[in-house]
Amino acid sequence: MVTNIQTRLLGRDVSFPVEESRFAYWLVVMRLIVGWWFLHAGLDKFLAWPFDASWFVGGAAAGTSLAPIVTLFSDGIMLSFVNVMVPLGQTLIGLGLIVGALTRLAAFFGAFLMTFFYFINGETGGWAHGVITGDLLGLLIFAMIATLGAGRVLGVDAYLAKTEFVRNHPRMRYLIG
Amino acid sequence: MSELTTVERVGLYGGAALLLIGTVGMGLLEIIAGAPHPVSGEGQVVHETLISLSVRSYTILLGLILMATYGITNLATKPPKDTSI
Repeated sequence: MVTNIQTRLLGRDVSFPVEESRFAYWLVVMRLIVGWWFLHAGLDKFLAWPFDASWFVGGAAAGTSLAPIVTLFSDGIMLSFVNVMVPLGQTLIGLGLIVGALTRLAAFFGAFLMTFFYFINGETGGWAHGVITGDLLGLLIFAMIATLGAGRVLGVDAYLAKTEFVRNHPRMRYLIG
Repeated sequence: MSELTTVERVGLYGGAALLLIGTVGMGLLEIIAGAPHPVSGEGQVVHETLISLSVRSYTILLGLILMATYGITNLATKPPKDTSI
């Protein structure tokens, strides 16, 4: 089974044929594992409610390169927003990946959250184990899921792609798998 | 598959270039020209860096921001051409 991957790099057509019958299998495995990673992280916080992110956005983030933005969320209503949005976001990202619904949107926000974890965990740890950390690899896997549009294999996005709404709003294709 | 505009090229290639410079490029420089970096018993790399870690952080961060900007502007300005897939 040969699939022709049509793709470009630096202005050149570098399309290539791939004989890979396990492509779909791997997309689903990757989605399920990464999805469970985030669903678990989100549900854990809801099950141990209330969740308080102040140690991260106020404490750990201070002095890092993201401090000017992140510390704005360290108290008051902004902190309350983060306390809800982090577990809610993680749960929805995880669910989205597992059921393959709005997969690219979920993967984008997964990468968005990982950016904060990567820099704040890395910088507070002094990059003691180098700059390629598990957080960066997680971020890259989210980017890969978004690039491959992995939601249409055994996913709700396969159904969404055929709906009248998506047909009438082509930009939705950037959000689904 | 369409040709990229200059802004898109900056986002995609500039972003990837900065990400690669911050990780691979500066990593290679540290190996070639940096101080020796023995690994401690706990697996920590103990050494002074050639390039400040915050410079490295900001390089990687700028790369990621450029890539994200490309994605968001692409979504906002370019509806997909082929809607049959």
